[in-house]
Amino acid sequence: MPKNIKGREIAEIIPDKCIACQLCIGECPINAIDMQGGAVRIDPEACAGCGRCLDVCPANAILFEKPVRKKMTGIGQKPHPLEGYRGIAVFIEAHDGTGAEVSWELVGKARELAEKLETQVLGFLPGTDVEPVAREAIAYGCDTVYMVDNPLLQKYLSRMYGRALAHMCNQVKPEILLVGATSLGRDLASVVATQLETGLTADCTGLDINPQERLLLMTRPTFGGNIMATILCRNHRPQMSTVRPKVMKLPKKDTGRRGEIRTFDLETSQEVVQVPRIIDFIPRAAEVGGVDITRAEVLVVIGKGACDPRHLPMFEELAMLMGGTVACSRPVVQSGLLPHIRQVGQTGKTVAPKVYIGVAVSGAVQHLVGMQGAEKIVAINIARQAPLVQIADYALIGDYREIIPKLIKGIESRIKVIR
Amino acid sequence: MHIICCVKQVPDTTQVKIDPATNTLVRTGVESICNPYDLVAAEAAVQLVEKYGGKVTVISMGPPQAESVLRECLALGAHEAILLSDRAFGGADTLATSYTLSQAISRIAAKDPVHLVICGKQAVDGDTGQTGPGIATRLGFNQFTYVSEIMGVDPERNTITVKREIEGGAEVIEGKLPALLTAELELSTIRYASLPELVRSLRQTVRVWGAKELGGLPERLGLKGSPTSVKEIFAPPVRGGGLVFDSGQNSERVVKDFLDTFFEKEKRLLDGLLTKDGHAQEH
Ligand SMILES: Cc1cc2nc3c(=O)[nH]c(=O)nc-3n(C[C@H](O)[C@H](O)[C@H](O)COP(=O)(O)OP(=O)(O)OC[C@H]3O[C@@H](n4cnc5c(N)ncnc54)[C@H](O)[C@@H]3O)c2cc1C
Repeated sequence: MPKNIKGREIAEIIPDKCIACQLCIGECPINAIDMQGGAVRIDPEACAGCGRCLDVCPANAILFEKPVRKKMTGIGQKPHPLEGYRGIAVFIEAHDGTGAEVSWELVGKARELAEKLETQVLGFLPGTDVEPVAREAIAYGCDTVYMVDNPLLQKYLSRMYGRALAHMCNQVKPEILLVGATSLGRDLASVVATQLETGLTADCTGLDINPQERLLLMTRPTFGGNIMATILCRNHRPQMSTVRPKVMKLPKKDTGRRGEIRTFDLETSQEVVQVPRIIDFIPRAAEVGGVDITRAEVLVVIGKGACDPRHLPMFEELAMLMGGTVACSRPVVQSGLLPHIRQVGQTGKTVAPKVYIGVAVSGAVQHLVGMQGAEKIVAINIARQAPLVQIADYALIGDYREIIPKLIKGIESRIKVIR
Repeated sequence: MHIICCVKQVPDTTQVKIDPATNTLVRTGVESICNPYDLVAAEAAVQLVEKYGGKVTVISMGPPQAESVLRECLALGAHEAILLSDRAFGGADTLATSYTLSQAISRIAAKDPVHLVICGKQAVDGDTGQTGPGIATRLGFNQFTYVSEIMGVDPERNTITVKREIEGGAEVIEGKLPALLTAELELSTIRYASLPELVRSLRQTVRVWGAKELGGLPERLGLKGSPTSVKEIFAPPVRGGGLVFDSGQNSERVVKDFLDTFFEKEKRLLDGLLTKDGHAQEH
């Protein structure tokens, strides 16, 4: 146990474990902790040995053995009446009379969580003429769908939708609210969480339940994606989380399923004149052509090591041969070779193709979180130790310039046999 | 026009690496930078003021060292900078952060009305994108996220028109001021600060406000005001590795070996993919 000059037992940071989250810096009552060059340091002479840093450290990165007083959380915090919050709600995103696929994926996940909590799955659906969507929501697994059907909700406006969804939460009191992390969903979830003064965890890649405490365990990549963190929202309801498209599995639709549809009114007052006005919508050229890497069954994903415009036709040929399309890692987007809509990963799209072929992709964590749902992973890389090679079902070690032309030939001849 | 920009100091996440031997984060030597989206926001604010007149105030919540990102914005041409720094702010999640920032904005606005707030669309260390909308909601401002272009401000009608990047395309939308925007990288091109600007930025004072100056409710700040907490952290899950084909000297052979195995083991999968009606030819 380290001591300082005054002989006081002090806390120490274990550098290997420290994730530099800085929680301890905020907690230290005497400013003895700070960041130096990206690393957290405790000033041994200033440290009073109170152990509060140990209490808040999420990474067990603080060495301190003196018996510590019981953690004092909860003091100064009003006890929140959590009783009375029941059910798992999913925000159903609707465009032009159809529900967004991510909403159904979340309904599927909500069913699974609802089993563990022995509760209902609720659909929250604001929009205009959305009754058919409500029926679809039931077919995908909602027990009850709450609808706010109002002409003012024709197009998405943050405040209107925020008010509608917050109103539903206040009335229905779900214990959990899941929102698809589309640009609309992220915008809306932030508004609603702020209005309800509750916790919101963005871009979760895993959701689970602690049934004893009825807590949602929300797992997401954090600190730049190098680490996964499981996050809790203990004292506020609903526990809110956004999840990206394609992270959860799309459930089977059952048009015979029964459920209930209820409607709410939207209270709109004089404000109506003040709402923003959507003047125009300009479809993105590249997407008009229908490139949607999240839908492709085969993806040829090119990485920085293959970021060469001369070889792009070759990658496209391989992709087309297998009925797929070309995607990429972030550096390829940064170089300007391919547009952002083709990027796989934490700041790109989450994909779950049947076959993922990574060409000179190293497999950084930020990339991996976007493609781990792939059924089969093939990695082509000169480096055997590349992380993608480690997790691939099939790894081809070598220079892609040598390998791919041979792959194309080989596949062509085998396709002839299959047909 | 008075514009406030909210900026954040973040670790340069591109430098954060995992030590393959110990499987832990290597953080030594990682620099702190200004969140790139926030710099774009500050630049856009300065450009607006150059066009329509007014002033830009930049604020940042963070430790004392975060002063450097405020100076970076001053060098771009921002007029005033305020650092929100207090132990009580530490450990804040997005809810507590948006509370603190909106308290500061209200305080600034009490003296000098605010027409526009511009934030980055997200911070690269957390990637949540929740703080901007949180501030707008608390202040009751119109909110426009993912803005790639400011198409115009109409001082007479007191409106702003912006282009937002959303699913499938861009939306052009007009709304009343005061408003809050969150910036995409395309919103502006950051200038190289000129030497005189740099010198000016270094001379300027950056005011520091703590919890006392902000007023507000102490239980809403920092760790205490944060409903979410980290339960545990762990290394990302990995899939078990599979078969390795090392092409070595003879890539011809190895590719053939691979394809033989692949087509045999994944026959069902591949038959489904490759025999789809004319799939391979249609392109
Ligand atoms: C906040 C944050 C978000 C991020 N989001 C994303 C994201 O969404 N998506 C993403 O992809 N990245 C993202 N990144 C970047 C990520 O950390 C990595 O930098 C990136 O994924 C690396 O891309 P890469 O594998 O193409 O390049 P590198 O890591 O440079 O790998 C290149 C690979 O090519 C191999 N190679 C080179 N030449 C050849 C050859 N001739 N034949 C065969 N192999 C060859 C090398 O062995 C190497 O493995 C993010 C980073 C941060 C900090």
